[in-house]
Amino acid sequence: MESTRALRADLFDPASLAALGRIEIVARWIVDGFMSGLHRSPRKGFSVEFAEYRPYQPGDDLRYVDWKIAARSDRWVVRQYEEETNLRASIVLDVSRSMAWSGALMRAGASGAAEPRGRDATTVAQLTKLEYAERLTAALALLLLRQRDAVGLVRFDERIRTAVAPRARNGQWRRIVASLEEPGAGRASSAADALSQAARLISRRGLIVLVSDLLMEMEEVQTAMRGLRALGHDVTVLHIMDPAERELPGGGEAVFIDPESELSVPASIADVRAAYKKTVDEVIAEWRSMFGGLGIGYEIVSTDAPFGVPLRQAFAARQMLP
Amino acid sequence: MSFLAPFYLLLGGAIAVPLLLHLLRRRIGARLEFPAARYLLRAEKENSRTLRIRNLLLMMLRIAALLAITVAAARPVARWLGAGHGPTALAIVVDNSLSSSVVVDGRPLLDQFKGMARDVLSSATPADRVWLVTIDGHVRGGTPAVLRDEVNRLEAIAGAGDPTTALARAASVVRAAGLEAKQVALLTDGQRTEWQGTPSIADAQVLVYVPNARPPANRAVTLAEARPTRWTPRGSVAARFLSHDSTTYRITLNNRTFTRGTAAPNEEVVVHASPPERGWLAGTVELEPDELAGDNVRNFAVWIGSAPGVNGLPSAGPFVKSALDVLRSSERVVDGHDIAVTGADELSTLPALITAPLDPVRLGAANRALERAGIPWRFGTRRAGDAAVRGAGFEGVNTAVRYDLVAQTGAVAETLAVVGRDAWVVAGPRYVIVGSSLTPDATNFPVRASFVPWLGSVLTERLVGEPGQVLETEPGARMPRPRWADGFETVDGQRTPLGDVLEAPSRAGTFFLTRNGRRVGALVVNGRPSESQLEQFSAKDLSDRLHAARTLVAPDASAWSSMAFRGAARRSLLETALLVALILLATEAVLIGVRPRRMA
Repeated sequence: MESTRALRADLFDPASLAALGRIEIVARWIVDGFMSGLHRSPRKGFSVEFAEYRPYQPGDDLRYVDWKIAARSDRWVVRQYEEETNLRASIVLDVSRSMAWSGALMRAGASGAAEPRGRDATTVAQLTKLEYAERLTAALALLLLRQRDAVGLVRFDERIRTAVAPRARNGQWRRIVASLEEPGAGRASSAADALSQAARLISRRGLIVLVSDLLMEMEEVQTAMRGLRALGHDVTVLHIMDPAERELPGGGEAVFIDPESELSVPASIADVRAAYKKTVDEVIAEWRSMFGGLGIGYEIVSTDAPFGVPLRQAFAARQMLP
Repeated sequence: MSFLAPFYLLLGGAIAVPLLLHLLRRRIGARLEFPAARYLLRAEKENSRTLRIRNLLLMMLRIAALLAITVAAARPVARWLGAGHGPTALAIVVDNSLSSSVVVDGRPLLDQFKGMARDVLSSATPADRVWLVTIDGHVRGGTPAVLRDEVNRLEAIAGAGDPTTALARAASVVRAAGLEAKQVALLTDGQRTEWQGTPSIADAQVLVYVPNARPPANRAVTLAEARPTRWTPRGSVAARFLSHDSTTYRITLNNRTFTRGTAAPNEEVVVHASPPERGWLAGTVELEPDELAGDNVRNFAVWIGSAPGVNGLPSAGPFVKSALDVLRSSERVVDGHDIAVTGADELSTLPALITAPLDPVRLGAANRALERAGIPWRFGTRRAGDAAVRGAGFEGVNTAVRYDLVAQTGAVAETLAVVGRDAWVVAGPRYVIVGSSLTPDATNFPVRASFVPWLGSVLTERLVGEPGQVLETEPGARMPRPRWADGFETVDGQRTPLGDVLEAPSRAGTFFLTRNGRRVGALVVNGRPSESQLEQFSAKDLSDRLHAARTLVAPDASAWSSMAFRGAARRSLLETALLVALILLATEAVLIGVRPRRMA
């Protein structure tokens, strides 16, 4: 299993993986690894067509091994299927200033000498939430495109920065990747407008994936989501969170400043940590409840988790994977 | 409660730090960019009451911890709490007098005292100053280990010691130590005859232990005396015993038993003897050992020699001749020429008993004879008229005619009798001079009953043999060195030169004094007979007799050991304060919560 894990980029440490190349390269590795690790197609049956063979890899479901070929040629291959689909998906990416933040320094200060050898503070989840989300978005788009789905992208902060209409044609993914490199990081997150824009870009029922840290007003998001659901769209929310936002590591006294609203909160970290964690859990529960009530998938994505984890979280439940 | 290092209390100012942190925490600290600040604000709002109480509690815990550390640094001590004891100056006074050697319950009382002293020394800390003081007033200082060795070597002295001096010295050393806690811990049998004084011990606490055990019935030798101290060669030994019933005794001379007998209680026994030994000898009067063995033996010394040959010349007068006849008949003296008894005008040899000339016209011849003999005295003005003589053994003696005795340069002599302010009888090396002729018209001395014994004493004790004598003293006593001695011979025969002060050994015995290597006298060391009267004060009665700043009475031995140090010293609260600080800090750590080692 170790050798398999080593070959699969989707299971790499995200920060280490991101340091190896540009977004599109990293995204390809992620998707390749992710695809190779799939155990079964959730959509098999008459609507699924055989696509190709590929060599068997440890971890593959033995049900898809072609035993006839194995008997004839002593080669183990697995069958892969291609779904006939007309899914149109739009990824809505939050690029506000709050996303351009990493808690690496806070975590490094908290862990100190307790960190294992060879992993200094600079290599600990140095990806900002936005960097993580961009790579995740690229990988997600590539994954969908490989399923012959049409994929679009909407980037937003206090306004919509980018709107790429969903397409399944060649070059769509490159357009999306190019769009990811455009500037953003505005002072606010206007998710409602972005979600409406995404809905407009999808002419018929489709999939909308919101990738955001959800540091925004819940009522606005709820209103927008209700509209999307009313239009029949499937919606999935990937809630990007830095581990430091979950745990509030470190110690001492500090004034905490929200880079978007410039809200400043003085606090003694050690004193308030427990209450903060409790509050974060409550907020997550509120989001989960709200999205659950609307039939919307909701997953917490930690920026120190390998990219394969959120990909699986996002789609395994919706059975959208090949 | 007080503090040994109060300056450290200034560290208490450090409590301002958590106070300021608590009060000013909204205005200090680094600025951190944190997108989820809204959650933080919400957490603080929703938990404001809890957080406020928690912060207050944390602040109080931190202040209390700092205070506890500050108090610990100042080294607090208190009487009512704490462990161990603070630095103490402690002098342990061990009564090692003769009476403390009594065996009670099969064990010498002194051994019990030594064990208790060792226990207390074992609980001494490096910050303590300790001394061991014995009842004879000897003070020993040093580390507890050194003093434990001293305790092990401790033996009972033969006498009562000097409790007043011992306590005064103990109080003095603890006072001089400069420590706040001062204690004199006394271990004594409470012997009544020993504690007749009222020792005063200012500004030091005295811890008293007196055993409750009733002292056993005791037998003792209370008198052992050679009569006279010079036997020529006949003499006698007088002895008396303390006993509730008849007791058997033994008398030894020169380690040889020469008599045994039985004596009634308080009866004075006189045993006559004419031993063959000669010279200065040691003797003992002994009883069978009992619970207090130290007083079952008493020492005496005697000089034994042949009866001196005396030549009584006519110039000494007829009464002297008659007296010499009496002495000859009792074999105190014999005819011979060892000693001359003569008028000064006929003096030709020494030693001699010299009287004033019978005829005043012979005065010049008398003085010339004295000069020829090297005697630094001369007969001076003739005095007539009744005058009383004063001196030991001269009671009722008068003179009608006498001569002034005029000392010459370098005269060293002992005046035995005086008339008014003038010497009448003087004694020097190998001579005794009387300022009158020994005739009834000059003095009534020859016709008095005391004359013959005096004459015998002069002839057999002063004018025969060496000039020394027997000195009787108590163990450890100090006295000026006798002029006639320059050395000291111990019981085992070792000889040491004498200084200006002669200090008696602490053990009983007969020790000889020497001059030019020859025995010339003896130092007889015996305990005070009253030490044998085993009656003791109770601890309460004894403590009432001590004029101390504070007196503690230990009810038993273990209580005494535990009250030593602690009774005077305040106990250290250092460990308690540190424990409190540790508990407070642990509580604070629990309240804060364990910091996660790694983020999830």
